[in-house]
Amino acid sequence: MKKISEVEILYGEMMELELDILKFALEELSKETPMKDTKFIFSEERASFRCNSCGYRWNFEQAHSSLSEELGIRELAGERESPIHFIPELAQALMRCPNCGSRDFEIESGKGIRISRIVFEG
Amino acid sequence: MDPLFERAKSKIEKVGKVTLVASGKGGVGKSVVSSSIALVSAKRGLKTGLLDLDVHGPSIPKIFGFNGEIVAGKEGLIPPIVRGVKIMSFGFMIGENPLPLKGEDKRSALSLLLAITDWGELDHLVIDMPPGTGDETIFCIRALKSAKANALIVTTPSSLSLSVVSRLVELLRGEGINLLGLVENMAYFRCNNELIRPFGSIDEGFLSKYGLRVLESLPIDPLIEENIKSGRLLESSGEFRSKIESLFDKIVG
Repeated sequence: MKKISEVEILYGEMMELELDILKFALEELSKETPMKDTKFIFSEERASFRCNSCGYRWNFEQAHSSLSEELGIRELAGERESPIHFIPELAQALMRCPNCGSRDFEIESGKGIRISRIVFEG
Repeated sequence: MDPLFERAKSKIEKVGKVTLVASGKGGVGKSVVSSSIALVSAKRGLKTGLLDLDVHGPSIPKIFGFNGEIVAGKEGLIPPIVRGVKIMSFGFMIGENPLPLKGEDKRSALSLLLAITDWGELDHLVIDMPPGTGDETIFCIRALKSAKANALIVTTPSSLSLSVVSRLVELLRGEGINLLGLVENMAYFRCNNELIRPFGSIDEGFLSKYGLRVLESLPIDPLIEENIKSGRLLESSGEFRSKIESLFDKIVG
């Protein structure tokens, strides 16, 4: 069986992942498995939004600054996170187009997490 | 294989008993019936959860009068316990905002809610399904069918409600879901000791055609609305509560 030398993981900006925790978890899970020497590479996919009403495009930074503080999820450590951090699709409820105020927009990129590339040895 | 979907399925498979409460259309009282079943279940001593999968009209937070903050722990979102029932709903996260999700986004949001809710130990999970036979309903059925869930369909006796029930029956049975029967909501009220059925009765021919039975007929009672407004559903004794208790005995025993 061929060994896996590299795995590239693409994660959406909207996930607001704490990479150190994910890296640590993957390293721990890989120990004593055929993937113990596998290198994990992380790439962030920037978030992009497009309004179906006026065509305006915006990014996550712009979106974040306009989010209401009213709705949040409290982490046990005490920090308060936007519900979008847990379910990115909720952006459809919590955001509006910064240009025209419409709720009819598309999240073009920046959600989810997936394996984008696997490299086998030899 | 979608790991998120598999995790969503495995979360529900661990629950002892799963009851799906579905309806062919909105506005027939599905959420009130599912909340009431969950309240009776908790009162009978079962560790009970209530999951609101209605994407466009989540009403469980309102019915339970919960305005607090959701907490996230190491294993995921922790459902608040209100009146002995662990409840989870998109409503906690979107407030009064509409959630105009489309196709794939709807499925992804539902998968995530199922996958990241940390129910802990549960004996009985009541699921308030999305209304109708749209893609969110078929997705939920696909995610839940491995849990060997039993389903109820809530309807009113109106011919308009029944016309959509038949489509839902076909969908549920086609996917191998065990259908326990119908709950006839808003069926009657009493006036001067006379029982009045404003929408008539469910036609026997309809029931035999689809091999269905009416598990319980629930009354129209203005007290239900009063209790919902104050977050005290089922707290008043009366015909509605005794009928829900009888329904619970038929579906859970």
